[in-house]
Amino acid sequence: MSSGVKLVPVQEAYDDLLNRTLARIPCDLGRLIYLASTRDYNTGNYYHEGLANRFRPEVARKALEIAHRQAFYRLSAFSLESLVSDLEAYLQSTRENPREFLRAWQKLEPYRVAIPTEVNLTVARLFTSNLRLALAILHYRQAQNHLGR
Amino acid sequence: MIGTTTALIGAAVLLVLILVWVRGQSASRHLPAVMDEWLTGQDDLPEACPPEFVSKIFSSRDSEFISQLESVDLKRLFLRERNAVALLWVQQTAATIRRIMRHHLEASRLSADIKFAMEARIFLQYAQLRLICGTLFLLIGLAGLERLHWMALRADKLTQRIGNVLREFESGARSREMDGVQS
Repeated sequence: MSSGVKLVPVQEAYDDLLNRTLARIPCDLGRLIYLASTRDYNTGNYYHEGLANRFRPEVARKALEIAHRQAFYRLSAFSLESLVSDLEAYLQSTRENPREFLRAWQKLEPYRVAIPTEVNLTVARLFTSNLRLALAILHYRQAQNHLGR
Repeated sequence: MIGTTTALIGAAVLLVLILVWVRGQSASRHLPAVMDEWLTGQDDLPEACPPEFVSKIFSSRDSEFISQLESVDLKRLFLRERNAVALLWVQQTAATIRRIMRHHLEASRLSADIKFAMEARIFLQYAQLRLICGTLFLLIGLAGLERLHWMALRADKLTQRIGNVLREFESGARSREMDGVQS
């Protein structure tokens, strides 16, 4: 490992993160967004106070980085149908107005900042493309429901 | 009469090639700007696209799901998006293989012990891969991704195979160098 962080504590920190924090988040997209939010936009370093207190900050940083990459690749491998269901679950968990949520996400594409650094370019493009499609599908279903009423 | 027919066929083929080329150019314009940076990047090879994602990009599963929704707009959006991803993958594969070959040529130039059979094998695989990438680039959008699935998997397998052959070559060259130093 380039940073000299030993593997066993990183594994422990990773398990801790998985069991204590990520297990409470109901969907994969939610977990990805959460993990991306622990990354500092200015430095690209990850920080989680609880994890850094229980383990060393560099161990916590590495565990967060690994978890982020894994969450990203897992979600990118979803079929479009599964991604639509996961996005729907995420939308419900935010308790926002679905119409406003869809409008904001289609316009601002905030999921772009959830992509980890150093991932394959094609997979990153597939991820944004699939989310764009999933949003369009939910928007379409919403319009269909509106017309049906 | 035969001359006129041949000229007409030739003109038609030329027209199709021009249309396909224009289409390819227009598709590449929609590729992210980061690709330029990636293509002209430094010597380090970037992370390769995992094979399961290659299969996913060219599979029919998502397309079938979109078809069930019976929306022309969604279908159109899906085709545009997925074709762009497929084109990016083709460009990334071609760029990776170019970089691997450049690296190999530099290593061969310094090597005193070049095996003709191995060099010929590497070159043939490289030529085959470039041909597949070129064909995929031209046919994506025209033939449909599902029909090109086998070709994409073949390109992916060839890329891995060339990578393995070159790794073998490099480790062989390194051990020969070590033997030379010891004796």
